[in-house]
Amino acid sequence: MKLLDIIELLKTKAVKKIAYGALIILIVVDFIIPRHEIHFFGDKVPGFWSLFGFIACVLIIIVSKWVGHMGLMQDENYYDE
Amino acid sequence: MMSEIFNIQFLHPSVLYILGGLLIPLFKGKVKQGYMLAVSLLAFFAVVVMPYGTYGVYEFLNWKLTFGEVDKLSKVFAYIFTIMGVIGVIYSIHVKNDGEHFAAFYYVGGSLGVTFAGDFLTLFLFWEMMAFSSVFLVWFRKSPASINSGFRYLLWHVAGGLILLAGIIIQYSASGDLSVQYVPFHGWWPTDLQSLASFLIVIGFIVNAAVPPFGAWLPDAYPAATVTGAVFMSAFTTKTAVYTLIRVCAGSEMLIVLGVVMAIYGVVYAVLENDARRLLAYHIISQVGYMVAGVGLGTPLAINGVVAHAFCHILYKSLLFMGTGSVLHVTGISKLTELGGLYKTMPRTMIYTVIGGLSISAFPLFSGFVSKSMTVTAFGEAHLTWAFMALMLASAGTFLHTGLKVPYFIWFGKDRGIKAQEPPFNMELAMIIGSLFCVGLGIFYKPLYALLPHTVHFEPYTAYHIWESLQVLLFTQLGFFLLLKKLWCEDTISLDTDWFPRKGAKVLMWLTKPLDRIEYNFIGEIYEFIIQKPIMGAAKIFKVIDTVVVDGSLNGLGKLTLACSRKMKNAQSGQIQHYAMVMVAGFIALIIIVMVLP
Repeated sequence: MKLLDIIELLKTKAVKKIAYGALIILIVVDFIIPRHEIHFFGDKVPGFWSLFGFIACVLIIIVSKWVGHMGLMQDENYYDE
Repeated sequence: MMSEIFNIQFLHPSVLYILGGLLIPLFKGKVKQGYMLAVSLLAFFAVVVMPYGTYGVYEFLNWKLTFGEVDKLSKVFAYIFTIMGVIGVIYSIHVKNDGEHFAAFYYVGGSLGVTFAGDFLTLFLFWEMMAFSSVFLVWFRKSPASINSGFRYLLWHVAGGLILLAGIIIQYSASGDLSVQYVPFHGWWPTDLQSLASFLIVIGFIVNAAVPPFGAWLPDAYPAATVTGAVFMSAFTTKTAVYTLIRVCAGSEMLIVLGVVMAIYGVVYAVLENDARRLLAYHIISQVGYMVAGVGLGTPLAINGVVAHAFCHILYKSLLFMGTGSVLHVTGISKLTELGGLYKTMPRTMIYTVIGGLSISAFPLFSGFVSKSMTVTAFGEAHLTWAFMALMLASAGTFLHTGLKVPYFIWFGKDRGIKAQEPPFNMELAMIIGSLFCVGLGIFYKPLYALLPHTVHFEPYTAYHIWESLQVLLFTQLGFFLLLKKLWCEDTISLDTDWFPRKGAKVLMWLTKPLDRIEYNFIGEIYEFIIQKPIMGAAKIFKVIDTVVVDGSLNGLGKLTLACSRKMKNAQSGQIQHYAMVMVAGFIALIIIVMVLP
């Protein structure tokens, strides 16, 4: 089946390399892209949103899991007893 | 009066859903499917041809009830509600249980009734109709967990509805005007009678918008609903609340803070969640957070953004619920810890779900991009940097979960060798339509912008904006794959604000144990004395008549009394579902009487 082949293709190492390449291009192009919607200081810093995206992701995962293990996460039968 | 309801220009789509719903049990098989589809399409066309104006005004006691207040705002919501009605009907058309279709029709009808309501009383009636019909979409799952969850859902909504009603009554006594009017609430606490009315109305609305701490019903009930029921529920309750918030309380500053908290809160809980549909439910809260915050800001750009976002949100969220619902329908599993490796057997469902995921994440060329960015930009332009940054953070979280975590753990992750195939044709068709809308709106957004309440001077596809979004999204993806081990799901539930009522109820039950005794001994005896004994006595008399007087010759009468006694017994089933059904029936009868009587 053709659709399945395409999905299998996406799992190869080559795609991974292309993805890393794309990330680098994202930052590089951000140095030259025209800026006209400046709302605050971050909009003037090249690569700001790349860093923001990465840190946001890490923060969300770590902080949420930490809060979860503080007692929010309970066994499924918690309310049944 | 009848001529006015069936006016050729204005045909209230709720009438189609409510009266149309009544006839569903009369049809069978393909005819029934065609009939339901026809009703939902007709409701959509009724909205298309509807001109602006006020229709369906009835005098009831001393009040003026307005069923059809049509302006740009109500029309754009009616468009999306009726489009969603068609998609939902297609997705659920194979369901055998008439009751489920019935509940869905009344739910959609209630939501449209709220949309076009011109006075608070009509709004309230349809508001309650939504709660009482949608709860059946939970109950029809028929598992003990969903029965309990349905009761909790109903309790939240009855409580919210009563708060709203209190607000409406105070509003009426303060202003003498029952029409749905703009009464924003400023500050955090009410200071006079008018602000108390606004305050209670806002609280009533935000219970339905699932704003924490009143939002725990949503992730509790939606995953407990039937596969098709959850698709309907994901679309209507919260977005109807957003609509009423825009209409009545735009610019209430409290909502900015609540909305931003909501957007982040949904994301945090989504990290912890293991049930795919509950994870999506938390993301409804997160997305509605953008809308609530935008309503609080209240600028024309923000309101446009909120309406556009509600429009797109209904389409991509229902698509996501349809995708995960299909997996649940086919495999019977919705827990991410038990799923994995389905890309070999359900690749097309995966593509539809990923399209929904990319749309909710606001990827360029998908519907979320043209709507979410409008709200977020409104915060940027208002120089509320903290809110702007928080909403961008929530965007990253949205992509992390709905765009990456859900598809990864269902279709890739650990292959658990689950037997599966693509869902039935009608479910897939609904997902195809949803996907086309998500991609179509992302590219051809001008028609949507034309429907918005204010004139739009916003261009989503600017170079910097595209670049900003791509950076946030793709670097989130990098974080996801680097931290995949940490994200591995755990088989737990997460405590939410409903911990207080749920645990509190247990304490209350313990405290009221003495009352139990009174109920059993005292009230029980009264009940027995006043109701049971006479019925038993009557039955005994009938029995005596039956056996002694007409023994043999009139066996038929015996059967009749038996049937009568059985009927009497049924009327006292003690099941709240039955009483709720009677209430809904009474409500429908009331509406019909109001509409038909001069």
